[in-house]
Amino acid sequence: MKTLEATALRKSYGDRVVLDGVSLDADRGEIVGLLGPNGAGKTTTLSILATLLAADSGSVRVAGLSPRTDRDAVRRKLGYVPQVIALYPTLSALQNLALFARVHGAGHGAAAAASAHALEAVGLAPRAHDPVSSLSGGMKRRLNLACAMVHRPEILLLDEPTVGVDPQSREQILLTVKRAAESGAAIIYSTHYMEEVERICSRALLIDHGRVVAAGTVAELISLGGRQPRMEIAFKDLPTDGWIAGLEGVSEIEQADAGGRIELELASLAQVSEILDHARQSGGQVLEFSVHSPNLSDAFIALTGHALREDGGGGQ
Amino acid sequence: MLRAAWLIFLNEFRLLTKDRVGLAMLILAPVVIIAVAGFSLGNIYGVRPAVNAYDLPIVDQDHGAAARAIITALSRDPAVHLERAQSVAGVRALVGRRSRVPLAIVIPAGITAALEAGRPAELVLYVDPIKRIEVAAIELRLSRMCTEITARAQDNARTRISAANAELRVRLERLATLATTARSAAEHFRRESLSRRDAAQRELDARLRSATAELAAQTRVAAERSAAAANSELERELAPRRDAMNAVRVYLSALQASERDFNRWLANLKAAAGSHSADIPPPPAFPRPPTPAQLAVLSKPIEISPPATALPEPALPNLSLASLPTPSVAIPDFDAEFKPLLAAPAPTLPGALGWTELSAGRGPAQANAFDQYVPGFGVTFLLIGMMMGISLGLIDERDWGTLARLRASGAPFAGTLLGKLLSRFVIGLMQMALLFAIGRWLFAISLGSEPLLLLIPSAAIAFAAAAFGLIIACIARTHDSVMPFGTVVSMAMSAIGGCWWPMDFEPGWMRAFAQWLPTTWTMQSFNDLMIRNLPASAIVWPTVATVGLGIAYLIVGIVAASWIYD
Repeated sequence: MKTLEATALRKSYGDRVVLDGVSLDADRGEIVGLLGPNGAGKTTTLSILATLLAADSGSVRVAGLSPRTDRDAVRRKLGYVPQVIALYPTLSALQNLALFARVHGAGHGAAAAASAHALEAVGLAPRAHDPVSSLSGGMKRRLNLACAMVHRPEILLLDEPTVGVDPQSREQILLTVKRAAESGAAIIYSTHYMEEVERICSRALLIDHGRVVAAGTVAELISLGGRQPRMEIAFKDLPTDGWIAGLEGVSEIEQADAGGRIELELASLAQVSEILDHARQSGGQVLEFSVHSPNLSDAFIALTGHALREDGGGGQ
Repeated sequence: MLRAAWLIFLNEFRLLTKDRVGLAMLILAPVVIIAVAGFSLGNIYGVRPAVNAYDLPIVDQDHGAAARAIITALSRDPAVHLERAQSVAGVRALVGRRSRVPLAIVIPAGITAALEAGRPAELVLYVDPIKRIEVAAIELRLSRMCTEITARAQDNARTRISAANAELRVRLERLATLATTARSAAEHFRRESLSRRDAAQRELDARLRSATAELAAQTRVAAERSAAAANSELERELAPRRDAMNAVRVYLSALQASERDFNRWLANLKAAAGSHSADIPPPPAFPRPPTPAQLAVLSKPIEISPPATALPEPALPNLSLASLPTPSVAIPDFDAEFKPLLAAPAPTLPGALGWTELSAGRGPAQANAFDQYVPGFGVTFLLIGMMMGISLGLIDERDWGTLARLRASGAPFAGTLLGKLLSRFVIGLMQMALLFAIGRWLFAISLGSEPLLLLIPSAAIAFAAAAFGLIIACIARTHDSVMPFGTVVSMAMSAIGGCWWPMDFEPGWMRAFAQWLPTTWTMQSFNDLMIRNLPASAIVWPTVATVGLGIAYLIVGIVAASWIYD
C-alpha cells in the first residue's frame, strides 16, 4: 500500500474538463514530480489531494484512509504548500508557524519547539520575530514551506513552491524538500521547472490538459523524448569534409552555415572531447561549442507538441 | 505623457466595469442613503396627513368648554390621530410602547374654570423623551392650538366686556340723575333743619334763663334762713365760754394787781430792812389760777350744727322741642341700580392655555441627547466594524490562501468561521462597553438603574452584527465591494433601526421593515434602559428578537459561506 494513491481523478467545471483520469502515487521517502505547463491541472490535482476540492470521480487514499470518510485524519497526515504565499502578513514568522502547528493539534510548548525547528530548517531563524510583510519574496516562500512542514507530515504536497524566488532561496527550498523526503515523507512536487524535477524527484508525471501524458523515473521520461545528446560547434576555420567519418554514432544535423556553425547528434556525452580532438586534427579551429543533453522538456515537447513554458490553458 | 494619461483614463473605466458591485454602489449607495434619510426625516419638513399622522391618546378629566375646544381643535389636525381614553395610567403605558405615540395629553379637571377665572391653565403631556423631535413637532402644533383657543376665548371675553361696559354706562348715567335729585333733597333738608334748630335753640335759651333765675331766688332765701339759725346756735355755744373768759380775766387782773402790790411791798420791806433784809420772811402767796375745768371749757372746740335747711326744689323748665319736620323729597332707589352691578361678576379676560411636560416612563421628560447618540452611533460603528472585520477578514484570508491552508491543516471551515465570529463578537462587546464608559465620562450619559444590563443588548447586537457580516462576505465577495456595500448596509440598518433618529419619523412600510433589523430591537433596549429607566423585564423581548434575527443571519451566512468559501 502506497502512502498516497490517487486513481482516475476527474474534475470538470461545466463543459471544461480540468482533470481527466489523473492517477498518481507516492511512497515514503519518495519525491514525485508533477510537471506541466500553467493550466495543465497540477493545482487542481494537489487541491484534490489536499482535500480542499472534491473530485467528480476517482479515488484518493492517504495511508489507506479515504478523505471522504476520514477527512480529519487524512488532513493530519498532510502538509500542503499552496502556490500563493498563504501566510498572515502582519504576524511574525514564528507566530505563523505556531498557529499552523497548533491548528494541527500541537500543544503550546510543542508548537513553539516545532516552529523553531521549522524556522531553522528553512534558514529563517534570525528573522523569527519579523513580520511576514517585511520578509523578501524568497523568505516568504521558505516560510510558506515551513508552515506545511511544522507538524512533520507523512505526506507533503507542494504546489510550485519556488515560483519567483531568488537562487539562494530556491536552493534552500530544494534542500529542505530533499531532507523531508530523507526523513520519510512522501512528497508530491508540482512545478513547471523541469530542472527541479530532474534534481530532486525520483519519479515524475508529465501532465498536460488535465491528463497524464507520461509517468516514470526521470531517465525513463527523458528517454520517452527519443532524442540524443547534441553538440553545436562554432569554427573560425572549418575542418575538412568528412571529419566525423571516424566517430561512431555521430551525425551532422545541420551543415555549416555562413557563420561556421555545425550541429551534431551524439551517441553519448562521452564523445565530446573525442569530437573536439577530431575537429582540430582535421584542420578545424574551434571558437566555442555547447552541448545539449536531452531532458524532460524535450520529452514533453516530443509527447505534447508544445513546450513546458507555454500555457496549457486547461487547469485551475 | 498624454497618451499614457489617455490609456490610464480608459483603463480606469475598464476596471470599473469589471467591479460590478463598485459600479452599482456609485449610484445605489447614495440612492439608498437618500431614500432612508428622505423617508425617515420627511416629517421634519411637514407631516403628510393620513400617511405619517401620529396617534395621540387624550384623557378628558375636565369635561368643560375648554376641554371640548381642545379636543375639537386636535381632531381637526391632520397631523395627529386623536384617541379618546379614560385612564391616565393607560395612556402613559401607550407612550413609548406603541410606535407613532410620542406623547399623550391629559386635560386636568378644572381647566375650564381656571381659564374662565383668568388664571393660566396647563395641559399635562406625558412624553416619551426618546421621541423628542416628534414631541417637539406635536408641541409646536399644540402651541398653535393653545394660542388659537386662548385668542378665541379672549375675543369672546372682550365682546362680553364691551356689552357689560355699555350697560354699566347706562346704569351710571341713571345713578348720576338719581344722585342729583338726592343732592337737592338733602340741601333742602339741611336748610330746613338749620332753621328749626335755631328756633329750638332760642326757645331753650329762654327757658333756661327763667329756670336759672327762679332757682337763684329760692337758693338765696334758703341760705339766709340757714345763716340765721346758725348764728343763734353759735351764740348759745359762746355764752359759757364768755363767762369763763371773764373769770380768767378777773383773776388775771387781780393777779396783776397783787403782783404789783407785792413788788412794792417787797421793795419797801427790803429798803426798810436794810441789813436785815435777809431776815425778811417769805412773800405772800398769789391767788390761785383758774380751774382745769374752766380752762378745758376754754379749749373746747366750737361745734356748730347747721340747721337743717330745706332748700326749695327748683321746678325744671320744659325743655322738650317741637318735632323736626320730615323731608318732603323722596330718596331715590339706588339699590335698584347698584345691586345688579354688584351681583354681576367682575368681567375678566380668560387665562392663557399652556402645557406642562411629564415623562411617561420612569426617567426624566428631557433626556440627555447623548443617551441616544452614544448607543446609536456605537451600534452603527459596531455594525461597520463587524461587517468590515468579518467580510474583509474572510476575503483576505481567502485571497492570502490562509483559509485554504487552515482547512488543509485540519481546521474545519465551520471552526474557522466560529473563531472569527466569536472574536469579533467579543471585540464588539468590548467596543460597546468602552463606548458606554467613555460616554458616561465625557457626556454624562445615563446608564439606567442597572448599568450591567446594557451588556445584554450589546452582546445581542454584537452577535447579530457578526452573523450579518458573514452574509455581507457572501454577497460582496471582493475587497473593493465590501467597503461600499458594507458601509451602505450598515448605515441603512442603523438609520432605519432608529440609531440616528427616532423610528417614528419613518413611514409605516419602513417601520414594518425595521422590525426585521436587529438595530431596531437593540435601540429599543438601550432606550428602555437608559432613557426610560425601565427594569430588565423591558428588554427581554427585544433581546430575544435580536438574538433570533442573529441566529437567522448566522444560518444563512454559514450556509452561503460554506458554499462560497469552503
